[in-house]
Amino acid sequence: MAISVDAPEVSEHLRGKQGYTFTFLSDPNTEVIRRYDLLHKAGGPEANDIARPAEFLVDRTGTVRWVNFTEDIRVRPRAQQMLAAARSIP
Amino acid sequence: MSDPIRKQTNSALWLGLVITVLGILSNLLYFSKFPAAALPWLNLTLPAIGLIFLLIGLVRAFGQSQIYRGRIWGSIAAVLAVLFLAASAWLFVLVRSVPRSAGAPQIGQRVPDFTLSDSNGQPVALAQLFAASPGMPQPKAVLLVFYRGYW
Repeated sequence: MAISVDAPEVSEHLRGKQGYTFTFLSDPNTEVIRRYDLLHKAGGPEANDIARPAEFLVDRTGTVRWVNFTEDIRVRPRAQQMLAAARSIP
Repeated sequence: MSDPIRKQTNSALWLGLVITVLGILSNLLYFSKFPAAALPWLNLTLPAIGLIFLLIGLVRAFGQSQIYRGRIWGSIAAVLAVLFLAASAWLFVLVRSVPRSAGAPQIGQRVPDFTLSDSNGQPVALAQLFAASPGMPQPKAVLLVFYRGYW
């Protein structure tokens, strides 16, 4: 599921437009983003606080099984990497 | 009466132009299946190599103008290549200015709990994402994707 600072209406618009079926969550005050230490201060287009891109694969116990922190925001992980990690979970 | 000196193709200039254009086009590869990790370096090194060949070609065009053509279009191409290389370098630095996030959960650590609104305004807790839903059994894992927003 996808977390960003976008308000729920914005995420729902994106979700509908692209036909995504996964869950979008909104963190407009960057509260959870900061809890995960992912805050990018003034990193947004209007110099607002946003999340830096990161992906966590979490199992049922809440433990991280795979993680990706991008050094270059243009480079995103491919789905294969994530799927391979997910398959390795018993 | 001697023959006029035959002009030769300014191959360095043409090669420089092609490589620079390839460097510009390499920015489109982010939208393809090309391995993305190599792209930021391609975006920088291709225009740099292209510029070197353009400069070699310009030296020939100006230094041996009876033999090599390209003083005008080569100069224009070189200026554009310099501008593009500068823009690539600036962008390269900009996209890497990401915070360190040393405190983020690592492999083997438990993630912090949370409850946030979904796109319908309903609160959703992390634990709820592991619940079974109609037509789907309990997921064995959840992928949390934090993104910049503003799409």
